[in-house]
Amino acid sequence: MNVAMILEKRQQQWVELEQLCDDLELTGKNRKTGAAGISRFATLYRAACADLALSDAYQLPPATVTYLHRLVARAHNRLYRASRIDPTTWADTLLRKAPQQIFADPCVRVASLLFFGLFTLATFLGANDQWFPDFVPQLVGQEQLDQLEEMYDQPVSGSLDHYIAMAGFYIMHNTGIGLKCFSFGILIIPCLFELAFNAVSLGAMFGYMSRESTSGGDNFLHFVTAHGPFELTAIALAGGAGLRFGIGLFHTKGLTRRHSLRESASRAVPIMAASAALFFLAAFTEGFISPSPLPYLFKAAWAILSAALISFYFVVLGFPNDQRQINRHAADAPLDPLAEEWDAINAT
Amino acid sequence: MTTANALDTTIAVVTPENISFEYQLAGPFRRLPAYLIDVATRWAVILLIGLMLMLVGLFTSVFSIGSFLVATGLVVYFVISWFYGTFLETYFNGRTVGKWACGLRVICVDGRPIDGTRAVIRNLVRIADIAPYAALTSFIEDASPLFWVPTGMVGFVSIICTKRMQRLGDLAAGTMVVVDEKSWRLPVTKIEDPRVPALASYIPGDYRVTRSMARTLAVYCERRAYLTPARRREIAMHLTTPLIEKFEFRPDVDPDLLLVALYHATFLADVRVESASLGPLAGASPLLRDTKRTPSQGNAPDNATTAPAFDNETSVVATVVSESEEVLPLEAMFNDEIGLPSNGAKEVNER
Repeated sequence: MNVAMILEKRQQQWVELEQLCDDLELTGKNRKTGAAGISRFATLYRAACADLALSDAYQLPPATVTYLHRLVARAHNRLYRASRIDPTTWADTLLRKAPQQIFADPCVRVASLLFFGLFTLATFLGANDQWFPDFVPQLVGQEQLDQLEEMYDQPVSGSLDHYIAMAGFYIMHNTGIGLKCFSFGILIIPCLFELAFNAVSLGAMFGYMSRESTSGGDNFLHFVTAHGPFELTAIALAGGAGLRFGIGLFHTKGLTRRHSLRESASRAVPIMAASAALFFLAAFTEGFISPSPLPYLFKAAWAILSAALISFYFVVLGFPNDQRQINRHAADAPLDPLAEEWDAINAT
Repeated sequence: MTTANALDTTIAVVTPENISFEYQLAGPFRRLPAYLIDVATRWAVILLIGLMLMLVGLFTSVFSIGSFLVATGLVVYFVISWFYGTFLETYFNGRTVGKWACGLRVICVDGRPIDGTRAVIRNLVRIADIAPYAALTSFIEDASPLFWVPTGMVGFVSIICTKRMQRLGDLAAGTMVVVDEKSWRLPVTKIEDPRVPALASYIPGDYRVTRSMARTLAVYCERRAYLTPARRREIAMHLTTPLIEKFEFRPDVDPDLLLVALYHATFLADVRVESASLGPLAGASPLLRDTKRTPSQGNAPDNATTAPAFDNETSVVATVVSESEEVLPLEAMFNDEIGLPSNGAKEVNER
């Protein structure tokens, strides 16, 4: 048996396999030949695999081997297909995985501390016009401050037209910032910068508007109260997801760096999904409730309710009640090399 | 299970069929056009939907439909600009429009197809990959998004520094981009020179080429079409000098022709068919021991063992001799500058 004969014999099947590959190209369904075509495809694919495996024994020329590599790769890609996004798993991700991950993840705590700490600090510095009168103008810029004051000079009111469009805008803009925060997490510093920048500038504006001397402070509070809890938590969570993502680069827990990055990325995705959901809720609140002329009491109640919901979500749904979950996290925890010594010392 | 070759851009993947095959990785300059096509497609889709929403807004006058359409447009813009790649890669098995146009596909590093989570990660991290400069929009909030010029240096450096040519998003998602072109031609080298089977018939029947020799022969025959005759001889000489001694051939046998004949004997010649159709060249022997006898016609019976038809074909051999004037028939066959046409063994691509 020589090469010319083998090629002549096998080539027909290879050409047939290529045609079937063409048919299966887009959707993985074979319109022309149906189920029979697919089973034929599998047979031909296995035959091509066998040819490739035996190519060395047959002493096929290298160009033919290359051709076989391409053919098998092509058929492999038709046979093993990407699983479609399954919306039924979203609920599981959002209601089980995400809170568990958030509750157990130190990165979320660090990001939250950083965000709310800087936010509080900036609010304090901004509100204190005796000790730090220049803080806010230097940070935000006088022009923007004037704009801000002018915007809240009038009591908040708006038509429904305005609300709907604004809700859409907030979804696009704020969720975009959150996603950007997450993706820059891989470089860590831009993520921390984004988080800190948002914390400081928001805090400074809050502080400035709460000064006695500022006009329109009441209107400002009227506007921001309702969506505050959702929005601020969402930003902190996005930062936490980004941080979790980037930390995997150097806190590897014994994995290779590449593997660790991959694992931390898949752990960060549920946190980001929760953050995006909160951004959506915040956007609807900000679009419909915040600018409406509803009484302040209602808006404050909404803020308290949303804060309670978030707490429920983080603590009740996130509490590690699942035994497997606890074991997994125990296994995840880095081994303390001194733990045994400490135990010995404590025992004596 | 993958291994990367140090010097080549191919990567081996072991499949469930327990077969290892090779993918060619896509480098930055194959991926850039695909990305640009994707950007153009994304904007085209967004503009198209925007236009449709505007038309709907113009021709309907339901209460507050305008702002509802604006909100829809903004949300559509958000979803498409962030999740275009995610959606297409999971729905079309690792391909976006740009990848499809450029013959690329994204797969997991272990050869499995991409899944939803990985597609989400690698498409979100694209923002970090096209940095720096995209990061500057955080400072200039009111700059039009049309005026971003992301340099993509982060992703570029990452691609050229990793052995699987992964950008950061690929590293984080555990994916790689491979070349998966629509059709690959099957190259078959065909030998059309009539002197090749003639010479091949003199190669001793007990000679077996080794594996590495077979591979070398195949590579040589695929590549020789791109070489000048002088260069072919120079390359082939290294292998043929010991072979000529071993086969007891005349030292002036053309090295290139000898390698092609070996290739023919190894890969193409059908062992069951005797070297029947030697045509006018039958009886022309490259053997050293025949050299002294061939010019004298009287030795014909001695040659009968090596060339059975020698007696009958003498006149034909003579015509060959007369055509090539005073050159001996053997030299006309085996060591000529003019006689070996450049398309003697041409590469024929067949499907």
